[in-house]
Amino acid sequence: MIDEAVAPATWTYSPVFGHYDEVLDARGRPRRHWRRLANTMTRLGPGQFARRWQHGRQIIQANGITFNVYGDPQGQERPWPVDPIPLVLAGDEWQAIEAAVQQRATLLNAMLADIYGPLRLLSDGSLPPELIFHNPSFLRACHGLAVPQSVFLHHYAVDMGRSPDGQWWVLSDRTQTPSGLGYALENRMVSAQILPEAFKRSQVRPLNRYFHEYRQGLFELTRTKRENPRVVLLTPGPFNEAYFEHAYLAKYLGYTLVEGADLVVRDERVFLKTLGGLVPVDIILRRQDDSYCDPLSFRGDSVLGVPGLLAAVRAGHVVVANALGSGVLETPALSGFLPALCRARLGEKLKMPSLATWWCGEEKARRYVLEHLPRLVIKPAFPRFGLHPVFGAGLSASERDDLRRRIEADPTQYVAQEQMALSTAPVLSEHGLEPRHVVLRVFAVWSGDGYVVMPGGLTRISTSEDSLVVSIQQGGGSKDTWVLADHDEEPLPQEPVRQPVDISRTPDLPSRVADNMFWLGRYLERVESMGRLARALLPALSSEADLGGGLSIESSLELLIGYEYLPEEMRGAPVLEQRRWLEKVLRWIVFDTERIDALSWNVNQVRRSARSLKERLSSDAWRLLNRLDQEFPSGVISGEAHLLNQVNTLDRAILTLASFSGLMMENMTRSQGWRFLDIGRRLERSLQLVELLRHGLAGVVSDDQAALDMLLQIADSAITYRARYYTTLQTDLVLDLLLVDEANPRSVGFQLHTLAIHFKQLPGQDPSGRLPEEQQKIVKLLTAVRLARTTELAADRQQLGEFLDGLKQDLLEASTALSSRYLSHSMSTRLLASA
Amino acid sequence: MIYQVRHLTRYSYALSVASTHSELRLTPRELPWQSVVRSVITVEPPSATMRGFRDYFGNNARYCSVLEPHHELAITAESIVEVRETNPLMPAATLPWEQVRASLRAWDDPVALQSFEFASESRYVRWNAAIAEYARSSFTPQRPILEAVIELSSRVHGDFKYKPESTDIDTSVEEVFRSRRGVCQDFAHLLIAMLRAHGLAARYVSGYLRSGSVGAEASHAWVGVFVPGHGWVDLDPTNDVVVATSHVTLAWGRDYGDVTPVKGITMGGGEHTIEVVVRVDPLASIPAPVEVRRMAGRRWDR
Repeated sequence: MIDEAVAPATWTYSPVFGHYDEVLDARGRPRRHWRRLANTMTRLGPGQFARRWQHGRQIIQANGITFNVYGDPQGQERPWPVDPIPLVLAGDEWQAIEAAVQQRATLLNAMLADIYGPLRLLSDGSLPPELIFHNPSFLRACHGLAVPQSVFLHHYAVDMGRSPDGQWWVLSDRTQTPSGLGYALENRMVSAQILPEAFKRSQVRPLNRYFHEYRQGLFELTRTKRENPRVVLLTPGPFNEAYFEHAYLAKYLGYTLVEGADLVVRDERVFLKTLGGLVPVDIILRRQDDSYCDPLSFRGDSVLGVPGLLAAVRAGHVVVANALGSGVLETPALSGFLPALCRARLGEKLKMPSLATWWCGEEKARRYVLEHLPRLVIKPAFPRFGLHPVFGAGLSASERDDLRRRIEADPTQYVAQEQMALSTAPVLSEHGLEPRHVVLRVFAVWSGDGYVVMPGGLTRISTSEDSLVVSIQQGGGSKDTWVLADHDEEPLPQEPVRQPVDISRTPDLPSRVADNMFWLGRYLERVESMGRLARALLPALSSEADLGGGLSIESSLELLIGYEYLPEEMRGAPVLEQRRWLEKVLRWIVFDTERIDALSWNVNQVRRSARSLKERLSSDAWRLLNRLDQEFPSGVISGEAHLLNQVNTLDRAILTLASFSGLMMENMTRSQGWRFLDIGRRLERSLQLVELLRHGLAGVVSDDQAALDMLLQIADSAITYRARYYTTLQTDLVLDLLLVDEANPRSVGFQLHTLAIHFKQLPGQDPSGRLPEEQQKIVKLLTAVRLARTTELAADRQQLGEFLDGLKQDLLEASTALSSRYLSHSMSTRLLASA
Repeated sequence: MIYQVRHLTRYSYALSVASTHSELRLTPRELPWQSVVRSVITVEPPSATMRGFRDYFGNNARYCSVLEPHHELAITAESIVEVRETNPLMPAATLPWEQVRASLRAWDDPVALQSFEFASESRYVRWNAAIAEYARSSFTPQRPILEAVIELSSRVHGDFKYKPESTDIDTSVEEVFRSRRGVCQDFAHLLIAMLRAHGLAARYVSGYLRSGSVGAEASHAWVGVFVPGHGWVDLDPTNDVVVATSHVTLAWGRDYGDVTPVKGITMGGGEHTIEVVVRVDPLASIPAPVEVRRMAGRRWDR
């Protein structure tokens, strides 16, 4: 990135010879439609432009715009790579592109209707049967299924490139789950904010109307004709490369984001499992590959997806967009047959040519390919994950022979394409402006009567000026795409998008999300309580502890034996041995990554739960969770010094957790999602407190000051105690403060009181007032705690132990009752042995 | 011949299953030489619902779901089927196999087009050079196709040992070829692989065999080969016969994956065991229709 401090005083830019440049014409002058942007950039100069861009990057970061890289062992998200200079397209040129994309979408849809219907394309000889019958994306189970209004292709994307003569060519078609729309929208938000004056003066066509058409077209497809059809966006989940986009689009369009496990088929209808019960789904906007959509009908070896989905489609009770099976058209081998098909089916000439493509299943084409290998790019005819194009030019003689043999052995599996000399556009690099090759992705959607094309798109750029590979996965970048309004055209009103019909409905909360929220709360609290425990015990390791100052080894041991970190026999062991074990256990708790009773495992669980809640947590919340992650060093570090130094680490982590709680309390809407997060925290905190009292007080011999102080430290109530009682520590008073006192947010009573309020707010309350099991348990617990006679309990350790064990049992039962009532839908799916 | 077929499939689960979704292909096909007099599928638990549909290959399929907790799922298919003699084959009079192979490429012919998708590799039918080589000696130049195929089927019967439970559905054709043993399903896949390796169209047929023959204790499988002039001719390599009136046809497809009689997905349930019982008994005459009493299960007519 260009740095403001070292920015050159003026812009310089030299395109690549032999390629069309989007900005400069043959004489090196900016093309007409670029002039306003060029003027703005000249006026700003590289320095000020860099300052603007700094702002743009902050927007990207603040919005958490990311993508996932496949094969990254960390499974890490990367910031979305966008270049600040948009690609500008003139209005008249756009009209041609628009018409070509409309035509192509119409043609491809007609082909789908034929392929999943009468298959005339084959019987009349328009297509070789291999392209359908050998195509793994031809889903026989979907053949003959009725699709409303014959719209198989609801949304569509096409990649195009410009050759040196200025002509656009289609590079590939995306007919199954075209991605990029959400990123295009994000790119627009960034470019419009950093270049507001150029954006306005250039009369860039807005994108919002397209999304209105998008929603409209989907509604038109509903068969139930319900007033408010329920639409869900089906994502493969947080590990998909475009998960950010799925979450973003769902939010933008007002649809519920769901994973396969959130949906269930009953009586050939699809339902969303929500907190309030099952709600019917009318349309599934899918971002999941079709062969993963229904394990019963498609891949016999996968349990992903929604069992019985196809039965619901077959019965006509749900619409899946794009239609299942639409991936069949994503073979590049089709390109060569499109001109004739277009003439035959639409009676028109194909408006935009496809990149020259030879399918090796045809003998003539195969001969040509084998003779011209060094000039061609060889691709699999039927794209699959993990199969990459091979550039003939880059192969050695023996590799080329090898490829030739493979093609000859199974020619139908290969296509060859010309390598196109893609056009260039300037990008901002650390050296100023540099040319990069561009590929433009244009989007079209069914609007109810025909296809509409989004005036804009996602421009992707190559990694370097020498590379023609344009792939975000492989390190390329992206640009916004500005389509200018025609000068003759009426200026486009910036009309607000008409209010979508079901805006009043709050998005349904899938049970899975509530489940994740609940466990996020529980793990957060568990990490905090373990952190406090470790922090309180660490000083016992310092040698002074043996001499009677502060916390004794003895009470630390009792606590750890109670928690079953240490065996009972440890009580009688020599002090040196006890010290050694105490250190060993603390080392586990702080450093071990494998043990489930260690901190880092629980931090990992926090991350796991949070990850699938991406779209529901704010970017600040994310920043705190990331910080928490970094605060825990992984791997076992040896040496006493290291362990003692961890007090600081634990301090920081506990503060981070406190910030997170504060954020949740102050910034999160009081939705059911929030409620489950808080229920998780409260339940876990009650459990942790009950255990702490159980093991912390059990071994305490009458008012041991150090041990009681440790308890108060762990429970974060030391100050409260002193402020309230002005006295030395007494067991009964500590018990009162940590167990009964509902004014102390760290007491069991406070947690129970809060839980009782939450439980009453959950959906599905019985109007007759009968309490469901989890509420009964809470009432029972709250009564027991309120009536507890702390003085008696403090005097009789056995009675105290039994009392606390009873509380723990009831808490666990309350948690189970809650889970089975609201969260039990997440059950594992299994394949039956076939018979 | 008139047969009464009873086919029971019972799944028992270690833990309660919340729901099951399954797809059944247990209703025999109506064919020029086969009439289905009656066919009833019964499912336990009785709350199961079913919906029939015709699949891509024209087979009678059913989608069946059980949406209440259950520990056991039992599916019983009972059919009465009449199978008639067809015209005798004259293998020596069939076209030379090379000519058949060439005609499959003429895909503007609708009949050839239908057989096209049975001529290439599919999920369970893959082959290697050794498998193709094994078959080669049956395909001498200009040999009438049926002669070649019948001989090849006999060789498979002779060289491979029928051994129940020696393989499972994930055993590859290559593995069966190496170990020289398997069950009807393996021999069917193997023979199909050999035929497709020589450019011919061959399909997998699932069905039943009259009780008492090899492979009759479970559902059976054999091979159909496309012979222009005759249409599809079925051979049973497990019993070394051309299929006639001892076989009841359920369904066909490219391989086992297309015609699996019972497949399903459960939510929950832990480990499960499966029990399959098949009886195919000849009847002297077509029994008069009996009022089907509602017994334990809900019954569905064809």
